Amino acid sequence: MASAVVRLAGRLRSCARLVNTRPMSSATSAAGSTEAALDTVEPEHKDITITVDEKMDISSFTGVPDEHIKTRTVRIFVPAANAMQSGTFNPRRWRMEFDERQRWENPLMGWSSTGDPLSNTEVNFMSKEDAIAFCEKNGWDWFIEAEKKPTPKRKSYGANFSWDKRTRRSTK
Amino acid sequence: MMASRLWRLVRPVACNLSRTSALNNCAAPALSHGLRFQTTEAGSSKPTVASPSPLVKQQLTDFGAYVAECLPKYVQKVEVSHHGDLEVMIHPDGAIPVLSFLKDHTNAQFVNIVDIAGVDKPTLENRFEIVYMLMSLQFNARIRVKTYTDELTPIDSVCSVFQGANWYEREIWDMYGVFFANHPDLRRILTDYGFEGHPFRKDFPLSGYVEVRYDDEVKRVVVEPIELSQEFRKFEANTPWETFPNFRQVEGGETEAAAKPEEKQ
Amino acid sequence: MATRSVQQGLKQVKPMLSVDRTEARRRVLNLYKAWYRQVPYVVKDFHIPVTVEQGRAKVREMFLKNKHVSDVRAIDMLVIKGQMDLVETANIWKQRNHIMMFFQDTVNPKPADFLSKFYEGQD
Repeated sequence: MASAVVRLAGRLRSCARLVNTRPMSSATSAAGSTEAALDTVEPEHKDITITVDEKMDISSFTGVPDEHIKTRTVRIFVPAANAMQSGTFNPRRWRMEFDERQRWENPLMGWSSTGDPLSNTEVNFMSKEDAIAFCEKNGWDWFIEAEKKPTPKRKSYGANFSWDKRTRRSTK
Repeated sequence: MMASRLWRLVRPVACNLSRTSALNNCAAPALSHGLRFQTTEAGSSKPTVASPSPLVKQQLTDFGAYVAECLPKYVQKVEVSHHGDLEVMIHPDGAIPVLSFLKDHTNAQFVNIVDIAGVDKPTLENRFEIVYMLMSLQFNARIRVKTYTDELTPIDSVCSVFQGANWYEREIWDMYGVFFANHPDLRRILTDYGFEGHPFRKDFPLSGYVEVRYDDEVKRVVVEPIELSQEFRKFEANTPWETFPNFRQVEGGETEAAAKPEEKQ
Repeated sequence: MATRSVQQGLKQVKPMLSVDRTEARRRVLNLYKAWYRQVPYVVKDFHIPVTVEQGRAKVREMFLKNKHVSDVRAIDMLVIKGQMDLVETANIWKQRNHIMMFFQDTVNPKPADFLSKFYEGQD
């Protein structure tokens, strides 16, 4: 940054008085009297801690457009189990996903078009608390879809022949 | 007192040793399984992936324990992976001391910085992991140093130790938005001027938020909110299988998967 | 780690640049002044179809957009990004289109009321 400032001064192109963003260096060469006054009180920042709110809000500088912070709702849910006789890990994670936005049919090709960049974004989490914390700090509204626990029924082959277990029913 | 402290330091290493030895035990069936796909004659005991010799592994473990012993303030955990990679997990404050130790110590001489990588794990409170990969030409060895941070906690730049870290840190700043304190020239490196956001974050959409086109009316390139004429299809891309059963989350207990011990007080 | 709740309270953290609100405010004001003084040069250098007053109004608008931010570290982060932007602008690393990105003059505002939505063909 310092070299950039020197270059600036050399070209006499601008009067940019660059703000000192580095705690250790002195302010820019082009600094006027106000900035110079600041520098004398630059503290040594090592090992200093400051007190801030526990709740972190990063929405102002994540680069997500305002529209997609203020108007979006996040659904936090457990993904469905794989329908095949495959792995069973899907229901053991939590996932966040954004609300649906308007789609339209592409007039030329009939594709489904969208103006929503977040329609395919999903983030996985180990627990729903993590997902909630993530949405909170990003400034998204969220809701939780309750986890659906399967209730396995006890079955026995012998019950097919029992007189009081009504597993089979006559159709007529 | 001293002995107990030493034991506390060595214990994580010892734990990992037991884990790696467990992995070695598993390697035997994997070996015979792999043989079916090999063209070598039966009875050959050459595995497909060479495992480091126990001697090398022991050396790495010893060196890791030595590092942990020398820098007890910063080193939280030392691991030797199955493939013989030495990993040192450190507290974020310790980036400069640990890396200068590894660079300047006679028995280390990791003078070469290969890369600095970032990892985004949104589920963790300190969601970004910064991985320094070092190489020692003198001893033909590599080491990984891992630390962590979140969106708002600065990490000390290691440019004062490794000149080569300059662009790597700029890249991490650009891609993940991790701020490096006292970096000589921290600015964007890969994205376009005026680009907002950090593309390697997990919550950054694949398409980005804006699209760029040349506008004939205003005679310049304009940037507009994106409209996809064909929306991306949604696939379940995650594996349904459990990937790291060894790092399974223990119910009600400390998670191994986090692999991040609490800060030393 | 697994059970992380959204807590209300205070915590001790490492500062980014400023140690308190006063210092952060000073940095913001300095950055604002630097941008304010840079605007005439930007208008001249980049030949953008914007007057100096409009440029300054835009600078003001960009700063006021984040006036609700109270976390010292978040303010610092915004200052850092604004500072990088200023350097890119002052060094003419940016081009005309990058400067005009601030103004978004080709983007049509989204229809808000019923009738304009109807004209746009949206529901």
